[in-house]
Amino acid sequence: MLWRTIQAILWGAGVLGVLTAIYGYAEVTRPWIGPVLLVAGVLYAVNITIMPTWRYRVHRWEATDDAVYALTGWLTRRWQVVPVSRIQSIDTEIGPLQRRLGLATISVTTASSEGKITIEGVGTATAEEAVDRLRRITAATAGDAT
Amino acid sequence: MTTAGEPWQRLDVRLVYQALIRVALSLPLGVVGVTVGDDPVWPLVAGSCAGVLGALSTLVTWRTTRFRITGEQVEMHTGWLARRHRIVARDRIRTVDVSARLLQRVLRLRTVHIGSGDPGASFDLNGLRERQAAGLQLELMPGATPDRDPGEGTAIARFRHAWIPLNVISPWSVFAVAGPVFALHWALRPFGVDLFGAARGLLGGPLPGWAVAVALVVAYLAGTAVRAGAFIVENWGFTLLRDGGALVTRRGLLTTRTVQRADRRIRGIALDEPLLWRWLQLTRTRVLSTGQGAGGEAAVSDILPRTRLAEARELAPRILPDGARPLEAVLRRHPRGALTRRLGLALYGPALASGAGLLFTLSGAIPGRWWLLPLALIPVTVPLAVVAYRSLGHTVSGDYVVVRTGVFHRRTVALQRRAVIGWTASQSIFQRWGGRMTVGIPTGAGARHYEAPDMSVRQAVTFLTETAGALGPESP
Repeated sequence: MLWRTIQAILWGAGVLGVLTAIYGYAEVTRPWIGPVLLVAGVLYAVNITIMPTWRYRVHRWEATDDAVYALTGWLTRRWQVVPVSRIQSIDTEIGPLQRRLGLATISVTTASSEGKITIEGVGTATAEEAVDRLRRITAATAGDAT
Repeated sequence: MTTAGEPWQRLDVRLVYQALIRVALSLPLGVVGVTVGDDPVWPLVAGSCAGVLGALSTLVTWRTTRFRITGEQVEMHTGWLARRHRIVARDRIRTVDVSARLLQRVLRLRTVHIGSGDPGASFDLNGLRERQAAGLQLELMPGATPDRDPGEGTAIARFRHAWIPLNVISPWSVFAVAGPVFALHWALRPFGVDLFGAARGLLGGPLPGWAVAVALVVAYLAGTAVRAGAFIVENWGFTLLRDGGALVTRRGLLTTRTVQRADRRIRGIALDEPLLWRWLQLTRTRVLSTGQGAGGEAAVSDILPRTRLAEARELAPRILPDGARPLEAVLRRHPRGALTRRLGLALYGPALASGAGLLFTLSGAIPGRWWLLPLALIPVTVPLAVVAYRSLGHTVSGDYVVVRTGVFHRRTVALQRRAVIGWTASQSIFQRWGGRMTVGIPTGAGARHYEAPDMSVRQAVTFLTETAGALGPESP
């Protein structure tokens, strides 16, 4: 959650910063950028204060012997199921910010990019254990990705 | 890999003649371009340079290209500065086209395009002799032999004259003529010829409205005729047949094209009915197969030219390897809430656009009352919302999952259950209040992902358990 908050703050600061800079320097664009800045400011405020907590309360994931399940989202919730027999690859990814916080992202890929499951912000130790287990199960399951 | 010693083949020597002729043709053009007026005529000069460069690259291709066909794969070496060695397994090859441009036709050369459903893994052999090209087509696709007439049992469809009008009508026909006219206008400009000015002069004064209308009608008719000609040339002798575990299509008058799709890769079939021609029941038919880029080469997935819905439905069971009729299944309707949501979107979509416009008007970026303009769209968006709701439907029929959606194109997709590689269900905040959810089906075939928007939660659960029947360790 902390990770997501920091990320949201960074993104918000980046986008708003660029827009404000343009607003300040290029006077011609002011009538166009002014309203955008106003709306974006409100949206980012909501994004930083509410979104991370909400997401943290919604997000769930589970890996069983048959399938990987994940529930993500905040305003729009999204359940995903990928049967173990259709898994093509499993990746773990740790970014610089995530490393600081001891988190990892697991992604489970299938033949369709829409069927890909991304589980963000899992504790490193849990992630390693889960990926190891999935690797063993997929290796033992005869299956074809298509 | 027993035929590793297969000799490499090269492109034909006549390719050199072709290059020389092109140089001979383009040089004078450039000379004319430089000398005709005080200023060089840039389009001519550019055309001439392009011609010479094209000829040079043809020579390089001729020097460097080597290819061979072994028992399992097709290999090609090409390139001068950047060398490339490409290998594609023979059972991945879906299309073999033989075509020739004017100059090639004179020299009796042919271009062979070997496609594997993915533009990144295709071959272009530019410059083979007529007979060599035909031999290659025959070797790679034995099912497509033109001489061998297949029995009545295996031929699925043949070219029908009734298809011509169906494939020709299009609101864009005007552009088939208007495009070249504009091109001609701009091409003649440097020589002081003003086509539009001449037309204006003929009629005396500015163009009256009726003249424009007449011109449009003439352009539309002429454009339709052009499209009809193009369709006939492209689909002449169209035959779709099943041969040895594969669907084979061959067609074309000037460019002969053969396409084959292995039965074991076919995962379903899809119909696409454009809204504008719904009253004609005009339908595009595609097969969904795996091992092909998501966009795919259209020629591989489009199995028939545009036909009537009834005809497509009648042919579908013969196109599918298992002879099922999933497209005729009765679809379950989606709940009323789905209609309400679409109507709501039709109303507040334009309203939001207006709101944004109003903000900009207040800040001074847009003058006057232009921000009201999006509201004028509402009379159009509301009927479209009803159309969108009416096209929603889904069911599970035998081995197939059937899903129908779309506004401008109503798409009916029948996908085999074994091709389903997972499920996604999503619920926005409004869907959560209304007890509806959108179910997505990722798959390795066709467009990779199909959606059934706004099912009721109960329908979604039933749908998911029914499709999950095929789930398990058993492989397809």
